[in-house]
This record gives sequence, C-alpha cells and structure tokens, in this order.
Amino acid sequence: MTAVHRGGLAASAVLAAIGSAALVGGLGYGVTVEGGEIGPGFLPAMAGGLVAVFAVLDLVGRLRRRPDRPSQAELILDTPSRPDDGIVLGDPLDPGAPTTSTQSIHSPLATDDDDGVDILGRTQRQRNRMLAVVLGLVVVTLAMVQVVGFLLAFVLLLFVVAVFVEHRRVLPSALVAVAAGVVTYAIFVALLRVPLPQGLLGLI
Amino acid sequence: MLDNLALGFSTAFTPENLLWCFIGVLLGTIIGLMPGLGSTTGVAILIPLTLTLEPVTALIMLAGIYYGAQYGGTITSVLISTPGEAASVVTTLDGYQMAKNGKAGSALAISAIGSFVAAIISLALLMWLAPPLADLALNFGPVQNLAIMILGLVIVVSFAGGSLSRGLMMAAAGLLISTVGVATGFSDARFTFGSINLLSGIPFIEVMIGLFAVGEVLHQIRRGADAPIRTRFRDMVISRGELKRSAGPILRGSGIGFVLGILPGAGSTLASFMAYGIEKRVSPRKAMFGKGAIEGVAAPESANNAAANANFVPTLALGIPGGGTTAVLLGAFTVYGLQPGPRLFETQPTLIWGLLVSFFIGNVMLLVLNLPLAPVFAQMLRIPYGYLYPIILLTSFVGAYSVSNNMFSVVLVLIFGVVGWIMKELDLPMAPLVLGLVLGPLFEKALVQTSAIGQGSFLVLLQSPISVGILLFAAALMVGPKIAGRFAVRRGPRVAATDDAETRDHAREEAGR
Repeated sequence: MTAVHRGGLAASAVLAAIGSAALVGGLGYGVTVEGGEIGPGFLPAMAGGLVAVFAVLDLVGRLRRRPDRPSQAELILDTPSRPDDGIVLGDPLDPGAPTTSTQSIHSPLATDDDDGVDILGRTQRQRNRMLAVVLGLVVVTLAMVQVVGFLLAFVLLLFVVAVFVEHRRVLPSALVAVAAGVVTYAIFVALLRVPLPQGLLGLI
Repeated sequence: MLDNLALGFSTAFTPENLLWCFIGVLLGTIIGLMPGLGSTTGVAILIPLTLTLEPVTALIMLAGIYYGAQYGGTITSVLISTPGEAASVVTTLDGYQMAKNGKAGSALAISAIGSFVAAIISLALLMWLAPPLADLALNFGPVQNLAIMILGLVIVVSFAGGSLSRGLMMAAAGLLISTVGVATGFSDARFTFGSINLLSGIPFIEVMIGLFAVGEVLHQIRRGADAPIRTRFRDMVISRGELKRSAGPILRGSGIGFVLGILPGAGSTLASFMAYGIEKRVSPRKAMFGKGAIEGVAAPESANNAAANANFVPTLALGIPGGGTTAVLLGAFTVYGLQPGPRLFETQPTLIWGLLVSFFIGNVMLLVLNLPLAPVFAQMLRIPYGYLYPIILLTSFVGAYSVSNNMFSVVLVLIFGVVGWIMKELDLPMAPLVLGLVLGPLFEKALVQTSAIGQGSFLVLLQSPISVGILLFAAALMVGPKIAGRFAVRRGPRVAATDDAETRDHAREEAGR
C-alpha cells in the first residue's frame, strides 16, 4: 500500500467524520421552520450528509481499487505507454513515454516510497524534509509578524528559505529578498495603502 | 448587436482599459509558462491587486491572465515537455518532438496562430450565443435556477477529474464550507465556534489563494526540481506548407473546443485531448503523430483556447462557471459587488460588452507578443524555483491580508494551503470544491425560495418543464459516460479484460486534469 493510498483512506475517513459532525450540527440548527419550509440547518445538514456518504463510498472504492488501468485520456489519444501489459502513466523508467497527466509529467522520478533524486541531487526524503521545514518557517514567520512586522518577517522568510532550504548563494538571495520586499512595499503599502502590521518594532 | 459591440469598443478602447488588458495578457503569458503557476493560481493571487480598479477594468485584466495563460502554457510544453497549464499537456506529445527536430519555432508559431484563430472564432460564437441564452435565463425563477445549479455541480463533478464519488464529496464539501457564518435570510450563526472572524463566513479569495497558490507551492517543493532548460531555436518562421497543413486542424480544434467549452465544468483540458484524438484519426499523416506532427500541436492548442472562451458562455449567461478559473473569476464578480447571472447583460451592458470586446484586443496583443517574443519569454524559465516559490508565498499572504486587513485571512490562507496540498497529493479534484463554495450562497437562496414556493415541498421542481429538462440532462450526464464507457471498453480488445468502472474512474481523473 503506497503513501498516497494510505493518505486517501485517511482523508476519506476524516471527511466522513467531518460530514457526520456537520450533519448533526445542521440538524441542531433546525432543518425546517414553521410551515415546513427549509430552515438554517437544511443546507449544512444536506451538505454534511452528502460529504459523509460520498466519503464512505470513496473509502470503499479505494479499498477495492487496483491501480494500473488505461485511462480515457490514453483511449482518446491511442497512446498507451506500454501496449502489451499493464499500462502506467508517467513511467518512471522511461520519462519520454507519452504521459497524459500534469502530475505524472511533472514527476518523472518522484514517487512516494523510493529515493528518487531530482536534478539538484535531492532525494524524496530530503524534499519531504524541505516541505516540513518550509511549513514550519511559514508558521514562525506568522508568529514573528507581531514582533518585527509583516514585511520584514516575510523578507526574512524569503532569505532564509533561499539560503538555508534551497542552498542558494547568500548575496543573490539577499538581493532577491530585498527586491521582493521593495516591490511589495511599493505596490501594497505605497500604492494600495494597505496598513500592513508593523509589529513591536514599528519600522515598516 | 452592433450597438452592443459599439458600446464594448468604446469601453475597452480607453487608454486605462487597454493598458490593463496588456498587463493582464503579459502576466498571463508569464504565469502560464511558469511550471506550477496556472491561470487559476494567477487570477486568485492577483484579485486583491484589482480591488481599487473599476470592476470592468479589473475583470478585463483578470480575464487577460486567463486566456494569456493558455498561450504561455504552450511555451513550456514545447521547449521542456513540461506543461505550464493542464490544457497544454497534449501539446507536449508533438510539440516537444518538433522542438527536438529543430522546429520549436514552427511549433510555437503555429500554436500562437491556431490559438488566435480559435479565439476569434469562439469569441464571435460567444457573442452570438451568450445574449439569447441570458435572455432565456432571465425568465427563470428560483426553481429553474436551482435546477441549473444542480446541473452545474453535476457537470463539474463528471468532468473535473477524480472518481465520481470523490467529485461529489468535494462539491458537497464546498457547499458545506459556504454555510459557515450567518446565513442570508436567517439570523443563526452556523459553525462559527464562537469566533467573531467566522461570523461573516469563510471568505472566498483567501480559500482560493490557499488552495491554488500556497497548495501548489507545497506540492512543488515535495515534487522536486524540474529538468534543466535548453532553449535552442532560431526564429519563428513558419513555412507555407506547414500553415496549409494546419488550417484543417485549427478549424476542427476550434469547433471541438467551443462545443466542449460551453458545458459548464468540461473545461479546456478535455477539449485539447479530444481535438488531438480526433485529429489523429482523421489526419492523412497519422503515422507522424507523436513524432513531431504540426497538426498535433495546432489542433489541441486551438481547442484549448476556443474552450477557454466558450467557458464564458455559461459563466456570463447563467452565472455558472465553466471551469476552475472561471469559477474564481465569478468569485471576483461578487467581490466587486456584482451579482453574476443572466441579469448582468441587462444591468451591466458596459461591463459585459467591454469585457467581451477586450478579449479581441487581448488576443491580438497576444499574437503580436507571442509570434516574435516567445524566445524572450522562454528565458523566464531560467528563474530558479528556489527563488520563485518564496516570492509566491509572500505575494499570497500579503494579497490575502490586503483583502481584509486582518491576520485571520493570512491564517486561513495557510490552512487552506495545507488543505490544497493534501488534495493535490491525494488527487482530490479542486474544481467541484470551488464551484460548491461559489454556488453555496446562491444555492441556499434558491433552495429557500423554492421551498417557499412549494410550501415546504420540492416537488415544484418537477412541475416546471424547464427544470425537469435540465434535471434530466444532468441525470443523463451522470449515467451517460457510464454507458458510453462500457461500449468503449468492450470495443477495444486491448482493455477487454479490465474492470469497466475502474477504467472510467481512472479515465476521468486523467482526462479532466
């Protein structure tokens, strides 16, 4: 079972739970009002119920589904990647094979459990870590907005991501970060007069 | 008609609107060619910037981004076999082969010319078809509107990609998100959990920026860097023979694109696949397809542009978006205080006709930009993604903040960014969620009114012949592909042994992307 498969099952389970909760919540708001017409709870209950039902159906579908089927895109195009046996889109071993989905075209090497190395020599594991680091940095940046201000916090984020996550050279990274900050200031603060939070520092 | 065109020209030809149209198509071209930045993302990020503009100017620019991206998406497909837009995926098949054969210039030129011809044909059809459709829709009451919205949701679900249950699940999730806050017509606060910020509901722009911009960035980080870029082509000269061979594919592509584009939710990706498939069957040079046939570039590129324009037929005439980007554009209408729907043709003729005429102007600009300048645009591909994505993050968060002047918006963008990333990783379709979210408030209003007309009963839906017709059409769309899929699978010996239902599910997923 791949990570995508497990993730799909988990997502459907979570959505089934959210949908059920919304159904109960919607019922609480009142599905009908006097006279039998629909009330404020009707749409929440209906949407929640539908989310729950289809999430359960999807869960069942995912448990039963086998991969490696020819797609309609391939049937339309008449270009199976491997004419004789199971047909896989975006064959990782043959990036030149006709692919029909953006994701498979974009990811000739990146699959979930292997160590596919990208052109900068980073393995899948390293890229997963990068993602976690970037997400963490964004959260830290949002927290820092209160202290150093919105613009400074995000310029700092830009620099830190470029230098420490992407391993770009320091000087160009600093230039790009400052330039992006200046352009953002010009457009949003000077032109559109958006009062970006200045934080405790109160600089810009 | 002529009066309307004159009104449109007088609106679109002001210096300000011309300038913003140019900015829109230029940005659209750039956004389209950046891998990981599609037209939906581009429009979502840039809505906040347009808040100070006149609605017509803002929409001219945003629409310019949308169809400009269709041109830009081709450049990466041809040069690095990496489509910048889903609708340009098919172009990689022959476009990249042409580039490898030293004919990148011809491939880019024919796609610019094909796109332009398709745009002009489809615009003429759009102007001819949308007003009478809007006139017809004007007679619709809540009952018919409810039926149309159900149809829109069904179409988006059946074409947008992913399995049927997953599409329906996401559409319902979109509706559910739209119910947060105080409902129109009721005084109850729903799902606010005591938060003041949630009383006015979950704002549309923040969700879009999160799902499309931040979600895409997170997805790209995990996916890794793209192949190195080599741009080696001399000029954009195209031979007379190539032009002659492409004329048929361009016209057929335009027709297929327009027909599919009219259906709300079918979108330009499906159109480009269909055009390529049909061209491959009718072409006398079948053997060349996949090896660098110019017809294999001309047909899908014309189709995706025609479909992009045709998407505006349901968007403008019915208020039901044709695809992901038009859903975001429709959201922009409401941000500017405009109620999308058939009444717009009556209440806002200047806006509608100015917008439509600007498409003509924008496409002329794009042709002029793309014929000689495609090599220049290609240089943009050298910007390392390591610099690009932090800038996209910065723009997304600042943009979200500027909409509401509230840090809550920024937090929402982050939350929906993570949701968008998870959806991409798990292949959950976005378009149904967006449509559910956009239609949610209108849907609820129509539900309440229909229920009031029927005094609590929804049987009134079955008393109007129009709504019965629309609902039957929706039902046919749900069941039709199943039956057609069964036949298609039976015919093909190669796939005879496969499970029909699964084939169809997987199929929709790929074709709809």
